[in-house]
Amino acid sequence: MALAKKPDLVLRTNGASIWEKLSVLYRLLLGITIGATIYWGTRQVSRADTSEPTPAPTIPAEEGLSLKGKTIGITVIGTDHYWDLRAYQGQIDEVKRLGGTPIALDGGRDDKRQISQIQTLISQKPDAIIEQLGTLSVLEPWLEKVVKAGIPLFTVDTASPASINDTTSDNFFIGEQLAVQLANDIHGEGNVLVFNGFYGVPVCAIRYDELKEVLKFYPKIKIIEPELRDVIPNTVQNAYAQVNEMLTKYPKGQIAAVWSAWDVPQVGATEAVDGAQRNEVKTYGVDGSPDVVALIKDQKSSAAAVVAQQPYLIGKTAVDNAARYLNGDHSLPPYSFVPALLVTKKNADEMQKFLGQRP
Amino acid sequence: MTDEGNGQNRESPKEPAREGSVGLMEPPVATTKGDGPPINGALLLRAGSLMGFVLVIAYFALVAPGFLSVGNITNVLEQSAILGVLSFGMTIVMIAGGSNVITGGIDLSIANNLGLSAAVYAILLKTGQPDIVALSLTLLTGLAVGLLNAIAVVSIGILPLIATLTVMNICAGFELVITQNTVLQASSPLLAVLAGDGPFGIATLAYLLLIIGLILIAVIEYTPFGLRLYAVGGFREAALAAGLSVNRYIATSYILSGICASIGAVLSVALLSGSSTGSGDMLLSVVVTALLGVVFSRRLVPTISGSLLSVLFIGFLINGFQLTNISSYWVNGVEGLLILFAVATTSLVRRREA
Repeated sequence: MALAKKPDLVLRTNGASIWEKLSVLYRLLLGITIGATIYWGTRQVSRADTSEPTPAPTIPAEEGLSLKGKTIGITVIGTDHYWDLRAYQGQIDEVKRLGGTPIALDGGRDDKRQISQIQTLISQKPDAIIEQLGTLSVLEPWLEKVVKAGIPLFTVDTASPASINDTTSDNFFIGEQLAVQLANDIHGEGNVLVFNGFYGVPVCAIRYDELKEVLKFYPKIKIIEPELRDVIPNTVQNAYAQVNEMLTKYPKGQIAAVWSAWDVPQVGATEAVDGAQRNEVKTYGVDGSPDVVALIKDQKSSAAAVVAQQPYLIGKTAVDNAARYLNGDHSLPPYSFVPALLVTKKNADEMQKFLGQRP
Repeated sequence: MTDEGNGQNRESPKEPAREGSVGLMEPPVATTKGDGPPINGALLLRAGSLMGFVLVIAYFALVAPGFLSVGNITNVLEQSAILGVLSFGMTIVMIAGGSNVITGGIDLSIANNLGLSAAVYAILLKTGQPDIVALSLTLLTGLAVGLLNAIAVVSIGILPLIATLTVMNICAGFELVITQNTVLQASSPLLAVLAGDGPFGIATLAYLLLIIGLILIAVIEYTPFGLRLYAVGGFREAALAAGLSVNRYIATSYILSGICASIGAVLSVALLSGSSTGSGDMLLSVVVTALLGVVFSRRLVPTISGSLLSVLFIGFLINGFQLTNISSYWVNGVEGLLILFAVATTSLVRRREA
């Protein structure tokens, strides 16, 4: 990046040869920039990484729905997590399948960028906007602006008063299923490490509260205080380090399970437990990313269960809801719940297939 | 902002130099002595860059519906405000520290300083402090971080690259301590004004970008103070020989940069209704903007007006991408291409002409 070899910036003219060489280089670079811009301009939205193995299963064919001639704005906070990417893809694919044009925008986990994208999206006046996840307090004023601009707003996994319909998993059921499985696996007794870093995210709060609800009736199960905090980014490494420390602090037999509200911390926790050969500790999480389902299938791994959501189907359902609304059906309920599935050591193999994670 | 004529030397500190206000250097003139018009690579590069800017705008105006609408231009200005204010701070440091990236002035802490200042502002408002207290302490936070940079660079003599990298980490650490890596919601009468619209229904942040830009252009490009900043960065020995307190000017540049970061923080809290995690990610964009700004200046030096043009250029480019339905995934790549372009052409021109 060195701008100048010499510290001073005195410029002198040196005659025509410099001009020629400079102009060639300059035209070349400018040409590349502008040429590339023009070339890209003729292209449609490039899709998010489409290298995922197979499209999601169990998509009911929705007859008579169409988005022909309609433009749907899709704004997501990020696609770095399996769930986010699949839900995003589900939306893009479904808009195209129904004959519409998606304007798909990935905020790259940057609130500012997502806000800018929503702002510009409003000025593009699409027929509907679908918003997926993000920080609700940041988003809320901008979601209200979407509504004020007269654009129907739908959300994915984001409960907002501005949204006509929110497509999500039933997180109450997810939280309960996971908690019951955990309590059963550890025979209703023992200490549990809990990652509770994202209580501010409503779906995580619901799952956590459900855990507490279930554990009320298992008095011999104790949550270790202080609770752990999962972070983004470096979630796996961070969870690994935290669980490793706790394994040192609490010797064999003093920790029965590790719980987290999603499955990325579960990966770090599982690695730490397996690495320390503490096979009495079991790990639990939510989402069902392929790597986690594979861990659960591995009989030697400490990963015991994950509640797998169907993000692709969630994304698809959100688009179908928007299409229904745009076709005049204004009887949509405020929430559409897509079933989630409990994956354990017993059914992991079968679930892998059902979730489209293996042929 | 963009006088393209080659007669008037708008941004050049050489005029005050001639007036003898400092009298410390040969004017950093880019003109030929003797015959012929004052044409050189730098001028051509600048004219070419401006033309590139105009071409990109023209292209998007043709293909993107609503690109030149008042609403869209306001959007771009509003979206560029935070990055713009940060890049002004970075530009000032580059001016006073010299633009050699390894040994020259750079403030890597600027984006994390914004994160820390925003956290301070949000937590103060959350704990019920009035705007005036919260605002003052936020500006003081930015100033303190700037001062820390100044001490590390000037008093201790650490390379700016390393010194500000360390301070960047300190800021990131304190931000985490305050926010616990969560978003702190904040609201206040001032924030409501900043987040809302000003006269003619145009966003307040858009006005602020232009106002702050114009004030800094006036201070840095048209006053003896600004001239001396350029002298300190470009002609250190000459500045020393002329009796300038070089260290004081360099320290001031870091403090100004710190204040810019905290002003950016206030704008950011207004835009996002609170503090937000991940401010550090803005650093690369700030560096890109300040470096690209160089090609918009007559003598290939960092200028506030160049940085303002550069932030608008990037803003319009990203906006145009979205309006023409090009994936946002291209943005990072294009930013990289722009930085390569800016650095490659400026170093080539300088090397050839040295």
